[in-house]
Amino acid sequence: MPEMTEDDIYRTSTQYRIWSFSRELLLSLRSTTNESAAEGVKAALHAQKAAEQEQSSKQDSNGSPLQEVDCLSVDEEQKLVVFYCVQNMRFADFCEFPTNVKATAVQYLKRFYLSNSPMTYHPKEMMPSALFLATKTENHYTSLKSFVSKLPKTTAEDVVAPEFLLTQGLRFTFDVRHPYRGLEGGFMELLALATGKGQSRPDNGASPTQLQKQMEGLDPANGGNKKSRSAEEVVQRIQDAHGKAKEILKTSALLTDAYFLYTPSQIWLSSLFVADEPLARFYLDFKFPTPSTMKPKLLTTLGTCANLLRSSASADPDDSELKELKRIDKKLYKCRNPEKIDLFGINKASEEGGT
Amino acid sequence: MSKTKKLGEGTYAIVYLGQLKADPSSQVAIKKIKVNTEYRDGLSMDAIREVKYLQELSHPNIIALHAVFSSKNQNLNLVLEFLPLGDLEMLIKDSEGIRYGTAEVKAWMGMLGRAVWFCHENFVLHRDIKPNNLLIAADGEVKLADFGLARSFSDPYRPMTYQVITRWNRPPELLYGARFYSGAVDVWSMGTVFAELILRVPYMAGNTDIHQLELICQAIGTPTEENWPGVSKLEGYVGYEKAVTVPVRGKDFYLARFGTAGSVGVDLLMSLLALDPRKRSTARQMLEHKWWTTDPRPTAKEDLPKKGGGLEKMGDDLKRRGGEVEDGRADNVARKLNFGAMK
Repeated sequence: MPEMTEDDIYRTSTQYRIWSFSRELLLSLRSTTNESAAEGVKAALHAQKAAEQEQSSKQDSNGSPLQEVDCLSVDEEQKLVVFYCVQNMRFADFCEFPTNVKATAVQYLKRFYLSNSPMTYHPKEMMPSALFLATKTENHYTSLKSFVSKLPKTTAEDVVAPEFLLTQGLRFTFDVRHPYRGLEGGFMELLALATGKGQSRPDNGASPTQLQKQMEGLDPANGGNKKSRSAEEVVQRIQDAHGKAKEILKTSALLTDAYFLYTPSQIWLSSLFVADEPLARFYLDFKFPTPSTMKPKLLTTLGTCANLLRSSASADPDDSELKELKRIDKKLYKCRNPEKIDLFGINKASEEGGT
Repeated sequence: MSKTKKLGEGTYAIVYLGQLKADPSSQVAIKKIKVNTEYRDGLSMDAIREVKYLQELSHPNIIALHAVFSSKNQNLNLVLEFLPLGDLEMLIKDSEGIRYGTAEVKAWMGMLGRAVWFCHENFVLHRDIKPNNLLIAADGEVKLADFGLARSFSDPYRPMTYQVITRWNRPPELLYGARFYSGAVDVWSMGTVFAELILRVPYMAGNTDIHQLELICQAIGTPTEENWPGVSKLEGYVGYEKAVTVPVRGKDFYLARFGTAGSVGVDLLMSLLALDPRKRSTARQMLEHKWWTTDPRPTAKEDLPKKGGGLEKMGDDLKRRGGEVEDGRADNVARKLNFGAMK
């Protein structure tokens, strides 16, 4: 029986089969979602206006003509979704939920808004539901009552009403593969190498002691000028890189499209590139000691992923970003689909077999 | 897709026979999960677990989830592979009508082992392996079903609940309240299924958790610091007087009961039922065991014994919620709806 590689197994996951895209496809999906949502908004607003005019024409025939609706662009939608992902992360931190619950909830929102527009369903309303669903799927179940008690101005209905809609948008796939375990494993391996306990690979001639020496000779991280000269200093350097990489995985990796475009191992290796490039290159040389066709391909991929991580929206938006978000939110107020605002009502009707 | 016949109904789900509209000869089982009116916290944990893991695990020995769809009233419908030949429990129990030997047991255990290996390779613990969760396809292939208690491996230092696995198949570490455990819990369950396939009755059928531990002490040996370093630190561990301690049973003891499996088969059984989970075989080691290459060869799946009446049995098996059992195996339920502890 042929052995299944880790890659083979990853390719069977829904994250790969359903939730991985090329940049082009991702953009075209979002454009399609945006266009059909805008049409929905316009149609609904026209219908609403027509109904109003019919009402008012009975008394006074001077109804104002409908102005063209100014809908959100794909870019504006994205900014808004990312902002609510940030809010979601803050709320998860406030509830002291573990990282995987927080990270899964953010990915649920990002996945949901590939096929749904904020003009149809406001992210503010989907956010609590996404976080609550993540507590269930990530084995950190918290009763709805205690969950709601931590949220300001939110009722149990607010959390549960959008849940079914959310699960539909997620296409009933709940598993999200994160880069955290890979990161921990990689750093355990680096620490072992730094302390002379590295496992030499059969195709790598270097002994554990030689590998340890190589690490001491590495260029300093990110343009610094001080080389790590002892094993202790190398260990310190690895710990610094670990902290930085972990922070990137908890913020940029979640807020960008990294999960849609790259695999968990590509994401954590890229975070290592951002944190400490010479260390990352050493690690890859250790993993691929002999020339291989895979390595240059991988380096290109990691390079583009690292750039994506560097370009991430801030997990702590500044004043100008907040101003822009307020503008978008204000604009959204005028282009929301009026038929989809009452999620609780919609949920109730469909539970009872209506709609 | 259309539903053609109701196969079974329980409190948790209704199971229908279905077919593709385009191809009336195609058959699937449709499991419609009922909206739980008492559970106001949205989609239930059982449904979430089942859908989450079946969506990810695609393997010839794991029941296939073809699709999930929602019908009106927000019901979740799982379109599952059609498995018309009942389950292993049904074959084990019918000792009058169904005859089988070591070659058949080897075939079934091989299929179970591959299913569990694949779960573990994907970092999933099944946590409810037992004969009536092993359903049989038309071609004789055994399929692991019911992922209502499944979960991903925990991260280090993150506790899990020990209230899982039906009692007769539950390993000693869970009976002692271990909150940190591994795939070894499923391996123990495989050992109990192996023993039950040979004996044709459950090997250790305890009435209570305490009784279950007593039976394990008798059948396998009393867990002590000597044979299982660290066991006394488990929350629920009870010390044993020296006088009542049963030494770990040797190979002769097993040969006397399970001799039909052969000497190598007994070695495998003993490695699955090791008290100390660290010494227990892994699913991978189980598949690498030399029993598989020892005579007799496993029976080809199409030649395995079959039994009628499987259609209704599939309906019964699928309508259950994870950890639930039918009457007759009552008071054997692993589940307690204590979600607070289920982290």
